[in-house]
Amino acid sequence: MTTTSTPVRRITVDTPVGFELIGVKKKAAIQLMGSRLWGRFNPNHWDPAYAGETGLKAPIQTGEMSSAYIAEMCVNWFGADFFKGARINCKYIASTFAGETIETFGVVREKTAKGSGYRFTVDVWAANEDGEKKTVGFVEVDVGV
Amino acid sequence: MTDRTQTLRPTTVIQDEQTRAFVEGLQNGSQTYWDMIEIGSVLSRELTITPELVILYADGVEDYNPWYEGWKMNTWHIPGESPFGGAIVPPLMMSHFVLCVQFDHTKPFAIGSIHTFHDTEILAPIPVGATVRIDAKAVDKYEKRGRRYVRHEVTVEDVATGTLYMRELRDILSL
Repeated sequence: MTTTSTPVRRITVDTPVGFELIGVKKKAAIQLMGSRLWGRFNPNHWDPAYAGETGLKAPIQTGEMSSAYIAEMCVNWFGADFFKGARINCKYIASTFAGETIETFGVVREKTAKGSGYRFTVDVWAANEDGEKKTVGFVEVDVGV
Repeated sequence: MTDRTQTLRPTTVIQDEQTRAFVEGLQNGSQTYWDMIEIGSVLSRELTITPELVILYADGVEDYNPWYEGWKMNTWHIPGESPFGGAIVPPLMMSHFVLCVQFDHTKPFAIGSIHTFHDTEILAPIPVGATVRIDAKAVDKYEKRGRRYVRHEVTVEDVATGTLYMRELRDILSL
């Protein structure tokens, strides 16, 4: 019988500057974009006809959806540390259209000594399948502090 | 409906009629966000973060982390498990709910507004089931490259304990 194990992927005090986080990948599904808790309040998020009238080639995601994707990546890598004294800064620089595939990315930019550990600064972004960046920003998280 | 529309969101004539009625209803009487907001105005609302609400949020972005589960099919309400004990709220869920505060819910929604930026401090984990107060203060209205923005400062704190969970600065682009 073969056994498999999931590798532990976690930022630790030993993680070097330049380290690249594996992100998450999502389809911008119009049915999720237009769900009541997300974009239902604004037809630009789910109605192709209305979006077309306002000059959009397709409905666009709420920016918070890509922020949530980036946050999911950060929880995968920082675990509980992402819920205590963390910072996440996101700028929505281009629209995410229904049907696009969005992937998140992160690269450790800086480690600043703090207490017995470090405050990590990680550049983060979300891009479509053509590499076009949609959301850019950074996170700061204490590790081992 | 065009082929493109049908590909993205297949519908029948009845659904199209319902959609048009819904969209027309949203547009009735709405102002631009720029005109709705005065600098210095504060809006505040309380929200009990129920397990079902957390599931609705997380499912919308396909985030299936078990830490957020205070509700499961078959068992329904459960305490959940996370590094902080019971189930907790996803880190940016309250940031999303700020929209429900900074857009005055007693007025028609300002169609044409786009969220463009947030700078969020996640100070402490929020237990599922907590009741929080979200305060949003309009601190600036500015124009940049011919576009109009409204900036808010936001806090989220526990109504029962006073714990400050989140602070945020955020911008909305207005028509």
